Amino acid sequence: MSSSVGIAILTGLLMGIVFGIALEKSRVFEPGMIVGQMQLRNFIMLKIFLTAVATGAVVLAVLNGFGFVKLQPKATLYAADLAGGALLGAGIALAGACPGTTLAQIGVGYRDALFTLAGGLCGAVAFSYAQPWLDKALIGTGPKLIFTDLVGIPFWQGAIGLSAVIAVILVLMERARSWRNDLGQDSDGNFAGGAEPFRHRAAPAE
Amino acid sequence: MPFFHEKAWSPYAAGVLIGLLQIPAFLMIETALGASSSYVTVGDAVASWLDPSLLKIDYVAKHLAATAKNLWQVALVTGIAIGAFISMRMSGARRQPISPIWARALGSSSSSLRYGVAFVAGFLMLFGARIADGCTSGHGLSGMAQLSVGSTVAVAAMFAGGIVTASLLLRRI
Repeated sequence: MSSSVGIAILTGLLMGIVFGIALEKSRVFEPGMIVGQMQLRNFIMLKIFLTAVATGAVVLAVLNGFGFVKLQPKATLYAADLAGGALLGAGIALAGACPGTTLAQIGVGYRDALFTLAGGLCGAVAFSYAQPWLDKALIGTGPKLIFTDLVGIPFWQGAIGLSAVIAVILVLMERARSWRNDLGQDSDGNFAGGAEPFRHRAAPAE
Repeated sequence: MPFFHEKAWSPYAAGVLIGLLQIPAFLMIETALGASSSYVTVGDAVASWLDPSLLKIDYVAKHLAATAKNLWQVALVTGIAIGAFISMRMSGARRQPISPIWARALGSSSSSLRYGVAFVAGFLMLFGARIADGCTSGHGLSGMAQLSVGSTVAVAAMFAGGIVTASLLLRRI
């Protein structure tokens, strides 16, 4: 293994630890937050998501604007983005997690997240087997379109504009409902008192 | 550091921290934050050991190559589990084996039912993410920050799919 790969692994681990702390502290990894967001009754997930997008956009406006980095946008594949995105969303609602937060759930000890992970690995393998066919039938190829190229302005201007719009949206959202009101009983997005505890296979009464 | 002993941070503080992770991703790895292709790397590594013919598929070979990008993402998602564990231990926010919301969302307190739903959900999530070539991180956090047209379409479809599913198949939590 080359030393650059070793450095990449170490960088990934450290970045992941920071990512994991942010996901756990913000409580967005909780199934209650993610299902609550998809039922439009809890907005912590959207607030974190939009804040991270706006921050990333400012970061990239600077790094790309001064020529330090190239952008890495994905190809625009309308059919695949729509079909794949919808399946992904259905999975997120039923998992109460997304591919990244599944690992955060495992880290805090949610046992069902191990099944989400196993299902995810099987889904990735099943896709790999189907990929040569799906690539021809559905996915195909497409250009790496970004909105600022479509309207002919520099990326950094569009990125700063997007961040400004998101900032306004977040101020209005927070004014409408504070994030503290979405935390729930045990910072888990759970609002119903006295929920019936789960029965486990080891339990005698079943 | 009292900051680390708190159970809940503001979503804005956490969101800024996550957004700043794009700096090392772009500068050191020349890629954007993402999570779902690591499932292909790990899943296919195991599957190709059982069925070596899988390696003939270019997509598989590309994800199994021991490149900095592939292994960085596997390390990243591993780090997420470690970071969440550390954070939970520091604040003492211990969790039940299954979140209490599931008994209401599924209308049943059977843990076997929850495990089955979680497995199917994980399968759908990754099958969909691989068709779309990205998940909440790759298309959501990174694609939207880059003003990508395709990622914006994928994120809209993701929220639409999630809202429809959570409204029709799950009970109100």
